[in-house]
Amino acid sequence: MALERDVYREFEDVVGAEYICDDPAIMPSYHGVEHAAVVLPANTAQVQAIIKLCNKHKLPFSAVSTAWTGMFSPGTIYIEMRRMNRIIEINEKNMYAVVEPYVISAQLQAELFKRGLHLNVKGAGTQCSALLRGHGHLDQSTSGDDRNHLAIEWVTPEGEIVRSGALGSVNEWFCGDGPGPSLRAILTSAVPPGVTPGVFTKAAVKLYHYPGPAKFPIQGKSPKYTLSEIPPNMMARYYSFPSVEKMWEAELKLGENEICFELMGFNVSMVAANITTCNEDEERIFKQMDKEKLGPGFFVIIAGNSAADFAFKKKALEQIISESGGQSLKSVEDPETEGILLCQCIRISASIRETFRPGGMFKSIPIMGQRDLTIKWAVGAGEAKLPLIEKGYIVDDSGGFFGWGVEQGHVGKTEIFCKFDPQDPEAEKAVEGWHKEQSERAFKERYFALLMGPVADDVAPAMSNFNVWWDKITQAFDPNGIAPQGGPLV
Amino acid sequence: MKEEIGMGVEQYKGDMNMCCRCSCCKFIPLQQVSGYEYTYVCPSIARYEYHSYSGGGRMNIGAAALKDGFNYTDRLLDIVYNCQMCGACGVSCNYAMDMEVQEAINEFRIKCVEDGHTHPELDKVIKLLRKQGSMVPATGKRGDWAEGLDLKDATKEKVDVLYHVGCLTSYDENMHKLAKATAKILQKAGVDFGIAGEAETCCGGRAFQMGYREDFLKQAKKNMALIKKAGIKTVVTSCADGYQAFKVLYDQHRLKGNLEVLHISEYIDKLIREGKLKLKKKLDISVTYHDPCRLGRLGEPWIHWEGKKIKKYRRGTNGVYEPPRDVLKSIPGINLSEMTRIKEYAWCCGAGGGVNESNPEFAEWTALNRIDEATSTGAEAIVSACPWCEKTFNKAIEKIGSRLKVYDIVELAAKAI
Repeated sequence: MALERDVYREFEDVVGAEYICDDPAIMPSYHGVEHAAVVLPANTAQVQAIIKLCNKHKLPFSAVSTAWTGMFSPGTIYIEMRRMNRIIEINEKNMYAVVEPYVISAQLQAELFKRGLHLNVKGAGTQCSALLRGHGHLDQSTSGDDRNHLAIEWVTPEGEIVRSGALGSVNEWFCGDGPGPSLRAILTSAVPPGVTPGVFTKAAVKLYHYPGPAKFPIQGKSPKYTLSEIPPNMMARYYSFPSVEKMWEAELKLGENEICFELMGFNVSMVAANITTCNEDEERIFKQMDKEKLGPGFFVIIAGNSAADFAFKKKALEQIISESGGQSLKSVEDPETEGILLCQCIRISASIRETFRPGGMFKSIPIMGQRDLTIKWAVGAGEAKLPLIEKGYIVDDSGGFFGWGVEQGHVGKTEIFCKFDPQDPEAEKAVEGWHKEQSERAFKERYFALLMGPVADDVAPAMSNFNVWWDKITQAFDPNGIAPQGGPLV
Repeated sequence: MKEEIGMGVEQYKGDMNMCCRCSCCKFIPLQQVSGYEYTYVCPSIARYEYHSYSGGGRMNIGAAALKDGFNYTDRLLDIVYNCQMCGACGVSCNYAMDMEVQEAINEFRIKCVEDGHTHPELDKVIKLLRKQGSMVPATGKRGDWAEGLDLKDATKEKVDVLYHVGCLTSYDENMHKLAKATAKILQKAGVDFGIAGEAETCCGGRAFQMGYREDFLKQAKKNMALIKKAGIKTVVTSCADGYQAFKVLYDQHRLKGNLEVLHISEYIDKLIREGKLKLKKKLDISVTYHDPCRLGRLGEPWIHWEGKKIKKYRRGTNGVYEPPRDVLKSIPGINLSEMTRIKEYAWCCGAGGGVNESNPEFAEWTALNRIDEATSTGAEAIVSACPWCEKTFNKAIEKIGSRLKVYDIVELAAKAI
C-alpha cells in the first residue's frame, strides 16, 4: 500500500531520504505486513512531525522498539525508533535513568551494574527496550508494570508533546505523578512506545540498589557460558513443593519477608531449557528434573549486601521452604548449573531457549492478577495440555505453568504456554483449541478475563463497561483514529 | 537424505521460518554486554538501521521469498550485498535457538548470483579470478616475494607442509612481509615446508563469500588436485579466508579428504609447545587481538548432516581463539588487553562478503568502529591473523590519522625469534 509520492516526500523531508523506505523488499522483515512506509526518526521533533503528518493524511501509525511481537495492519506508517537509542541520564542520587526507546535493557543494566544499581528487566529479555513496561523475573525486588515509570515525554496521537509528572512542571524526571500532569493510567495502559495512544520518546525508569558484581565472571564460549565462581553473597536455587498450595504459601511468605532478589515460578521444563544448549539436551535434562521434583516450584536468587545480610536471607529462605515442605533441586545446587542460572536469569531474563527453541513457536495465556486465584486456574489449564502432549502436538513440559509475584507477591503474573511446531497445522489447530477453551473457562469460572480474544465482548459488561470509557478517552486524544489499538507489543 | 550441496536456499526453509524476530542477532551475547558501547555485533544493522539488514531480517526475507517467489529489486540487492557474511548473527542467534542462520544467508546470496543478480564490482573481481587465479590484481609472479629465500617448491619436491600464501599476501607488496615472516618462522623451527609459487592459485574462499559457488568449486578442485599430486598431507596458511576455505568449505563440499589444515597461529603455537620454536626477544608493546571471522567463528570445523533437519549446529564454539592469544602471551614484553567484542562474538574488520570491493565506504565504517574499540583498550597496536583484516585496518587508520599500529601475529612472532 504505497504512499502517494507527494505524501512520501513530506515524510522524507522530516527524516531524510535514507530513513524512509516503502520498498516491498523490506516488508517481510517487518512482520510480513505491507506497511505504507517504515520511518526511522532521530529525535522527538521528528516523531512529532511524523505524527502530525499522519493526522494530516489520516494515516494510521505504529511506533516500535525492537518489535519482537506486535499487531500491525497494512497501510500503517511503521515508526521504528532505532535511531533514538541514547541513555540521556543516569541519576544515581535520585535513582532513575532516562532513556530513549531503543536503549536495550542489557546496555542500561551493564552501565547500572558499574554503579551498584539495577533495573527491572522485562521477561521478554534484555535485548528488548529498557523503556518497556512489563513484568520480569525481578518483580519481587524491583516491582513491575508501570510502577517503574517515572516521568515520560510523550507525543500524543495528535502530535502534541506532553511531559508527565515532574517533567511537566519542574523539568525533572523523578516523578511520573506530579507535580505536573499525572497521566499514569492513560499512558501506561499497555506497553510503550506504542499501543498506548501516541509515542513515548523518552522515559525515566526507576532504579534499585544492586548488591551483585559489576561484571559476572563469565567463562567459556557460546552457547555454554558458565561462571568461574559464584559471586559472593549470592545464591540460586530451585525449590519444589508437594502441592500448589504449599508452593504458594512459601512464595507469599518470601514476598512478604522481602527475602528474594529474584523469584521466578519456573517449571522444571523451563529450568532445563535455560541450562541446556540444544533441544536434545533439554529433553534429557527435563526428564531427569521431572523425576527429581516433588511438584510445582520456583527458582530463587538471593543476594546479600553483606555476608551477614546474605546469611540472614539464606536462613530465612531455608526456614520458609522447610515450613512449606519444600525441597531444593539437587541439580541446581551444582555450582556450574547455579552459575548458569544466576547469570542467565539476571543478564538475559526470559530466555528464548524456554519459549521458541523447542518448537519454533509458542502460544501463551498470560495474566496479571491475584496470584493464588490465577494459579488455581493455571493448574486446570496445565492438565488440559496433557492430551496434547500425549498426541505429540506440543512439547512435553508435564503440563507446567509459571509465574511470579510482584513486590510482596499477592499480585503477580501467571502464564502458561504450549510450545509447538508452527509448520504442523494439526498441532497449531490443537493449540488454538486449547487456548480458546482455557480463555473461556477463565472467564466463565470467574478467575479472570482476557481483554482480547473470544470472550472480549462478554467481559466489558462484567467490568463496568470500561471499554466505553476507554473509547471516549482514546477518541479525545486521537480524534482521527490513527493510533494503534490494543495488542501486546515488545 | 544428506545435506545436498548446491541444493541451495530451499534446504534452509524450516530454519528461515523459525526466526521469531527476537533481535538477539543484532547484539553480542547479552551476558557479555559490559556497557552502552560495543554492544552491536552485526555491522550491517548497525550501519543501515532497517531490520532487513539484520540476520533475522535476512531470514524473514528469505522465508518470504521461498513462499512468494524471488523478486529482485535494487533494495533487495542492497540488503544482500551489504553484508560481510561474518557469521556473528548466527552465533548470537544460536546461543538460544536451534536453527541455521549463516548457511541460510550464504545460500540466499548464492541464489542471487545464480539468478544473475550480481554486483558489478564483484563481477570484476570474479573476472580477475577466472583470468589470473587471484582475488587481487596479479602484479608480477605469485612467488616473487620468496626471491632469495631459497624455499622449496612443493610441486617439485616432497615436503611435509605446504605453506599456502594467499592472493593478497602474494601480490600486495605491503603484505609480502607476512609471507616472509611466516617463512622465517617455519625455517627457524626446522619445518620441512614448501610453497607452490607460481602454481599456487586462489583458495576460492572469498569467491564463495561473494556468492559465486561455481567459481569457488573450480578453485577448490584445482587446489586439491595440486595437493594430491604433490602428496601434501598438511596445509598451513596465514590467511583466515584461506583457512576457512581449506578447513571448512572444502570439507563442506566433500573435497578435503584427510588433509590437515592449520592456520599459522595454530602452527606456531604447536611449534612452541613442542619446543621447536622459542620466542625470546622482548617486544615492549601493548596489544589487543582481533579475531578474524574466518579463523574464529567461521573457522569451526564443518559438521555433515543427514535427514531433513540439522541435528548438531555449528555455533562458533570451536573456532581458533586461544592459539593466537597463547602465541602473543608467549612473546616476552607483550601486554595483551582484550576488547569487549572478542572470540566467537568479535566485530568484523569490514572486509568480508565482498563488501571490501562492493562498498568500500561500509568496509571502512566497520573497520573504524573496530579501531575505536581497539583504541579504547589503551593498546598501542591491534594484532590480527589475516592480511585482509590488516589491510582494512590500515586503510581506516590512515583515514583518521590514528596512531594505532597494526600487526599480523606472524610479524610479532618473527620479530621475537
